[in-house]
Amino acid sequence: MTETDSKASSDAVTTQGLCKRFGAKTALDGVALRVPVGAVYVLVGVNGAGKSTLFKTLMNLERPDAGTATVFGLDSGHDGPEVRARIGYVPDRQDAPYRWMTCARLLGHAAAFYPAWDRAYAVQLTGALGVPANQRIGGLSKGETRRLQLVLALAHRPALLLLDEPMDGLDPVVRRRALVLLAEHLADTPTTVLLSTHHVGEMESLADHVGVLRDGRLVAQMAREDLQRTVRSYVLETPDGWELPRELSATALRRSSTGREVRCTLVGEEREVTDRLNATGARVRDSRSLPLEDAALAFLPEEPT
Amino acid sequence: MTRTQLPQPRAVLMAHVRAIAFALRVPLLIAPVFAIVATIFLAIQIANGDMTGNLYAEPSALPSIIGALLAIAVWVREERFGPGFLWTLPVDRSRHALIKVLAGWLWLMAGVALFALSVMVLALVYDGGVLPVRSLQVLIAPVTSQEPLDPAALRTEQWAPGPLIVLVPFVSATATYLLASAFMVGVRHPLRWIVGAVVTFPVASAISHVGSRMLGMLWMTHLPERAVTGLLEGRYGLEALVTLRTWSLDRRMHLTSGERIHVWSAVPDLGDWRIAALLWTGAGALAVWFAASRHRERRRERRRA
Repeated sequence: MTETDSKASSDAVTTQGLCKRFGAKTALDGVALRVPVGAVYVLVGVNGAGKSTLFKTLMNLERPDAGTATVFGLDSGHDGPEVRARIGYVPDRQDAPYRWMTCARLLGHAAAFYPAWDRAYAVQLTGALGVPANQRIGGLSKGETRRLQLVLALAHRPALLLLDEPMDGLDPVVRRRALVLLAEHLADTPTTVLLSTHHVGEMESLADHVGVLRDGRLVAQMAREDLQRTVRSYVLETPDGWELPRELSATALRRSSTGREVRCTLVGEEREVTDRLNATGARVRDSRSLPLEDAALAFLPEEPT
Repeated sequence: MTRTQLPQPRAVLMAHVRAIAFALRVPLLIAPVFAIVATIFLAIQIANGDMTGNLYAEPSALPSIIGALLAIAVWVREERFGPGFLWTLPVDRSRHALIKVLAGWLWLMAGVALFALSVMVLALVYDGGVLPVRSLQVLIAPVTSQEPLDPAALRTEQWAPGPLIVLVPFVSATATYLLASAFMVGVRHPLRWIVGAVVTFPVASAISHVGSRMLGMLWMTHLPERAVTGLLEGRYGLEALVTLRTWSLDRRMHLTSGERIHVWSAVPDLGDWRIAALLWTGAGALAVWFAASRHRERRRERRRA
C-alpha cells in the first residue's frame, strides 16, 4: 500500500481540484478537502463561499465542472447511491419535502430507503428534539423543520454526517439540546462529521478540524490544535516607519495599529514568527492564541465582499 | 469500510406506492364514488341509444385523461430538478424516477380495473354478456353530403371485437400516463413548454400558409394542422389508441325515412388499435426512459482531446 493509499483510506472525505461554476460565479475553485475518518470537521465561510455547493457535490446533487470527490474511497460522481447510503444530510434549506405528510409518516417513508434505519432511535430523537410527530410537515415552523431534518439525518446512524448549518433556525434551548444529542450520537456511533456553520464557537466542544472557504477556495485546513497554535495575535512595539516584512505579510490575516503599537494576527509557529519580527526591529510585547472562532474567522475578510 | 446496504427496489417501490396513496388519498377515496357516478352516466347513455359502439372503447377517454392527470399529480409536488429530497436518497436517480413512475402506474391500473369492472357490469346488464357483439350500420361508400341517407347505402355488420377489447382502457391509460410522466420527469418547466406549444402553433400555421402561397409549395399548406390532425385522428392517432376511432367513425345521420340513426363510416379495427397501442405505448416508454436518464447518476466521461 502506498502512502497516498494509506492516507486515502484514513480519510472519510477527500476532494481534489474540485471546481464548480454557476454562470459567471465561481462556487468552488480547486478545492482540496481532506476530512479524516472520525473527525468533526467544521467548515467556515461567509454566505456564498461555496459550502453548500461543496456538500451537494459530495452528495452528487451537483456535478462538478472539474475535480473529484470521494467519500470513504467511493467516487461521489460514479457511486452516488452507495455514497448517499453512508451519509446523513441536513441541507442548507429549511423547506421540508412532502408537505402533505405528517412527520411520523415522512420518517416511515425515509426508513424504507435505509436498511440500517434505527426505528427506536428515530423515536428517541423525535422525542428529544420535540418534533411534532403527528403534525403535517407543511405546518411546521423553520425550527421544527430543522429538527425533523436532524432526525432524518441521524436515525440511520450513517458513517458520515453532512450538516449544512444544522443549528440554523433553532432556538437557543433546542440548539443546546441538539448539540448534546449530536455529542451523544458521536459517542455511541462511529461517525465522521463535516459541518458548516457561522457560529464556530458553538461547535468548539466538538470540532477537531477546521477548514475555511473563501470565494470558493479552501484557504485554510488544519487540525484544531494546529489552528490554535499557529494562528496567533501579536502585539508589537515598532520603530518609526516600520513595515511588516514581506515574508510575514503573506501570513498576516489582520492588522491594526495605534501609534507605534501594531496588532496583527499571523500564521506560523510562534517561535519562528517572533524571531522574524524581532529581526526587523519590532519587539513582540504579547503573543496569544485565539479562541477557535476568532482563529477561523481571521481567514475571512473583515468587510463584507 | 464495510459495505453499506442499499434499499431493495421492491422496498423503494412500496414506499412510493404508499407515498402516492397518501398524497392522492382524497381522489383515491372518491374514486369508487366517481366510478358509480360514471357507471350511472354510461347506463343513461346506453338507455338513450347514444352509445352504439363498444363499452370498452368509447368511454376509454376517461381513464386516458385520468392517466395523464395522475402523472402530473405524482410529480407536480416533487422537486424534479435540483437538490430535492427524492434525489438525496440512496437510490440511483434515473432508476428512482422510473420506480416512482411505476408506483403511480400501479395505482392507475387499479383505478382502470375499477373502471373496467363497472363497464363489465354494464355490458352484462345491457348486452347480456361481458364481450358484447354490436350490430353496426356501415356506409357502403363514403358520403359527403348532408342530405338524408338512403337506407340502401348502408350495410349491417356484426362487430365482435373479442377479448382484446377489454385491454383498451388499460393500454390507452398507460400510454397517456407514460407520455405525461415523461413530460413531467424530463422537462424542467412543463408550463412554459405548454404555453410555447400553444403560441407556436398559430405562428407555424401562419408561416406555412404564407410560405405555401409565396413559394408555391403546396405541400406546406396547413402543414401544422394536418400534422396535428394526423397525430390525433389518424389511423394510428391518439383517438385510435383511446377509442378505436369510435368517435370519428360514428356519426348520427337522417335517413330518407325520417329516422335518425348512428351510421359508421367503417367498422373499428382492432388490428389498427394494436399498432397504435404499440406505437403510443412504445413512444411513452421510450420517452420516460429518456426523461429519467436526464437524472442519471453517473457523469458522462469527457472525451479526451
